[in-house]
Amino acid sequence: MTSIRTIVAFAVAVLTLAAGGPAALAFDGEPALYEAAKKEKELTWYTAHYDSETAAAVCQGFEKKYPGVKCNYVRTTAQVAYQRLAQDQKAGIAQCSVISTTDQSHYTRMKQDGWLLPYKPKNADELVDAFRSFNDPDGLFTATAAGLVLITYNTSVVSPAEAPKKWTDLTDPKWKNKVSIGHPGFSGYVGTWVVQMKKLYGWDYFKKLELKKPRIGRSINDTVTMLNAKESIVAAGPSATTLESRAKGNPLAVVYPEDGAVLMVSASGIVKNAPAPNAARLFMEYLLSRESSQIMVQQHQDPVNKNVKPMAGAKSIAEVKTIRPTAAEIEKGIPEVKELFRETFGI
Amino acid sequence: MRERSFVVWLLLIALLLLLVINPLARLLWASFQHPATGAFTLANYVAAYGRWRHVEALINSLVIGLAVAALCTVFGVPMAWAVSRTDMPGKGLVWAAVLGTFIMPNYLGAVAWILLAGPNAGWLNRAYTALTTAETGPFNVYSKTGLVLVIACYSFPYMFVFTRSALDLISSEMEDAASTLGAGALRTTLRVTLPLALPAILGAFIVEFLESIALFGAPALIALPARFQVMTTTLWQMFEFPPRVQEAAAYAMPLLLVTVFLFWLQYRIIARKGYVALTGKGGERRLVRLGPWRWALLGYCLLVTSLSFFLPMLVVLQAAFARAWGRGFAWDNVTLRNLRFVLFDQTATRAATLNTFVYAAAASVIALTLALAIAYIVARRLVPLGRALTYVAMAPFVIPGIVLAIGFYAAYTTKPLVLYGTAWILILAFATRFLPIAYTNSDAALRSINPEMEDAARILGAGRLLSLRRIVAPLLKRGLAGAFILVFIPATRELSSAIFLYTTGTQVLSVLLFDKSDEGNFEVLSSMGLILVVVTVALVLVGFRMVGRDFLLRRTAT
Repeated sequence: MTSIRTIVAFAVAVLTLAAGGPAALAFDGEPALYEAAKKEKELTWYTAHYDSETAAAVCQGFEKKYPGVKCNYVRTTAQVAYQRLAQDQKAGIAQCSVISTTDQSHYTRMKQDGWLLPYKPKNADELVDAFRSFNDPDGLFTATAAGLVLITYNTSVVSPAEAPKKWTDLTDPKWKNKVSIGHPGFSGYVGTWVVQMKKLYGWDYFKKLELKKPRIGRSINDTVTMLNAKESIVAAGPSATTLESRAKGNPLAVVYPEDGAVLMVSASGIVKNAPAPNAARLFMEYLLSRESSQIMVQQHQDPVNKNVKPMAGAKSIAEVKTIRPTAAEIEKGIPEVKELFRETFGI
Repeated sequence: MRERSFVVWLLLIALLLLLVINPLARLLWASFQHPATGAFTLANYVAAYGRWRHVEALINSLVIGLAVAALCTVFGVPMAWAVSRTDMPGKGLVWAAVLGTFIMPNYLGAVAWILLAGPNAGWLNRAYTALTTAETGPFNVYSKTGLVLVIACYSFPYMFVFTRSALDLISSEMEDAASTLGAGALRTTLRVTLPLALPAILGAFIVEFLESIALFGAPALIALPARFQVMTTTLWQMFEFPPRVQEAAAYAMPLLLVTVFLFWLQYRIIARKGYVALTGKGGERRLVRLGPWRWALLGYCLLVTSLSFFLPMLVVLQAAFARAWGRGFAWDNVTLRNLRFVLFDQTATRAATLNTFVYAAAASVIALTLALAIAYIVARRLVPLGRALTYVAMAPFVIPGIVLAIGFYAAYTTKPLVLYGTAWILILAFATRFLPIAYTNSDAALRSINPEMEDAARILGAGRLLSLRRIVAPLLKRGLAGAFILVFIPATRELSSAIFLYTTGTQVLSVLLFDKSDEGNFEVLSSMGLILVVVTVALVLVGFRMVGRDFLLRRTAT
């Protein structure tokens, strides 16, 4: 037993030194959970929360903190992640232990269908306060990732002074043929953004936007490609991917809109027939830990642990004016706006 | 007395039925099933075809499919003729560029084309506005024309290879006969040489048509921003939450009828004429001397391959070696970091690379063995109702990969055959998906062999299997090497079925690439695409070496 504690303590120390952040505190019952997880050897995580690099980094961090428990990630888009889990459930296959999708309605449905195992992570105490309301009261899912939809632009064509300041600026005639957006049928981020815009400005907002002939991609991340190619020069884009691309040296910048950046909070849950339920619990704890949030920051994501500072150059979500539809509005709104969107934009 | 070989045929037919009919039957069944109760219903068909939007998408797909197949013929046939039958210079370069085109995944090519012909900032448009006084360039990839061009660019190699292998087999005797009777080179080519290759060209035309209908990658990247839908993007919507698998199955069903119709048509057109060219009675092939025209022909070949390979590759290379590709060309923007990340830091890449090529090779062997056997059974009428097998072998092509994957999933996650989670489900899915290519090739190759040669062997006492091994197989060797490559390459880049069937440990490169395509990380996407292209080219060249030099550039008459 001591040797394991030593290893854990050592791993924690190494990570802490490497990250230079505050010391991670062990949560109540960690050693016993770790022991049980080790017997299960490995866990599989279906995730749509971030890009594959971040998913890989989070898995590696977990393996470093808890040697002997292997972490396999399957990174896909939200719809595919859900589709795969549904396939598994239908076929009675136990493969996935933790599921992380970005589509709120998936959780409601999974809860209804009894696919999830309740667990309230102890580390949720350190969750950013603004995200708490997204946790399931019955403990079936917990917020573990966050991001923003905001205004992005190509700095080699648009000066900071010219750049749009609020969402309604995107419908200005000067951006005709120059705006890029995603499609709510493909992206949960875009779906939430569309629901929020409709809530703020009515469907009229999109009718006006259509007159400016925006370029519509699939994923919200497609806006990054469009801006880099200068095919579009302003966009409703994601914070993390845009800032990551900017960090490489691409001519991109973000604007936190005056009328509010749209906050996306995404949850994770443990699957009921998880082949590794204890490793899954340990992993949920890890996703909320300081170490994990530090890795997210290194990957230009927003931290969910309130003791971890956001990356240099980005504002912390607490400082930004954020807006967000409620869970019920999203669930009811997304199928509705998909239809409206198809009517207005023809696809 | 029945031959021993009869049992072999029956076993192979059983395998074909298992591979193709099992998943398709599950789909057919699903298309009549009520989503909740499982009771028989026609409601799925009403839902699938009751909306004008869905019908319109289907019409778009059919129109685009026809246009693509026609454009592929315009691209592929002259190039195949030039490489096979003329003294055009630079054949090695042209062939290598066609190979490169074929290896490049269409979704990578589509991204490159967005950068080349984007209406606002595409390189071609910027070059045009720089050279002329015009304010905007004429190119717009975001249009139906743009989509047709991009799809044709990445599927014309089928046409090229099918036509070329047919032309390679036609001896000059018939051309000589025509010229003796006073026909010029052009007339001989149009009236004798090309008509002899007609079965191959028609087969390729159908393959091009079906391939472009079932494609998801390029349409998703181009059709949506261009504001129109095709069948596969509509199907994708049916897999949105909550997924409507039954409706998707119903939506895909009529395409099977289209396939049946096309092959019936092909049969009608070519059945009444003889196309036997390889008679075993010698026959020499000489190249047509083109004089100055050979340079014009080379120019045409290079124009087509620039569109399909050289220009897009330039874009991919720029991004793969750029720190930040949005900055464009600059020396301080060059880095090996992306390649290093892909090769060394991202542990998934190596496993996925190995999986990709092992699965593709295994799938090719399975598909080819099966296809050849079935084609032989059909061609030599070894069992009753043999021709129905053609439809079975061709059916997978028209089922979009996503739908086929769902059928596979349904078929192989329940007893008696649980394959989900193993490599076999991917290998069998790839083998099934590309069976039609293997079949069309085997069929065309077999048609060109006169059965008299086998009959001679059998009269001399050889059994069916022996004559196959000693007579047919050696004659087919080169054609089959080509067919292997034709199955192997698309299997290395197959995406749509892989994405639903892979599990941890069985990831392939196409899935990693696709994940990158919606992560907005074009530098890394290009690096991985580059690796896929380079490794495949290397493997294919090694393959050529093993088959013999003359496969690449024929030096001797066979």
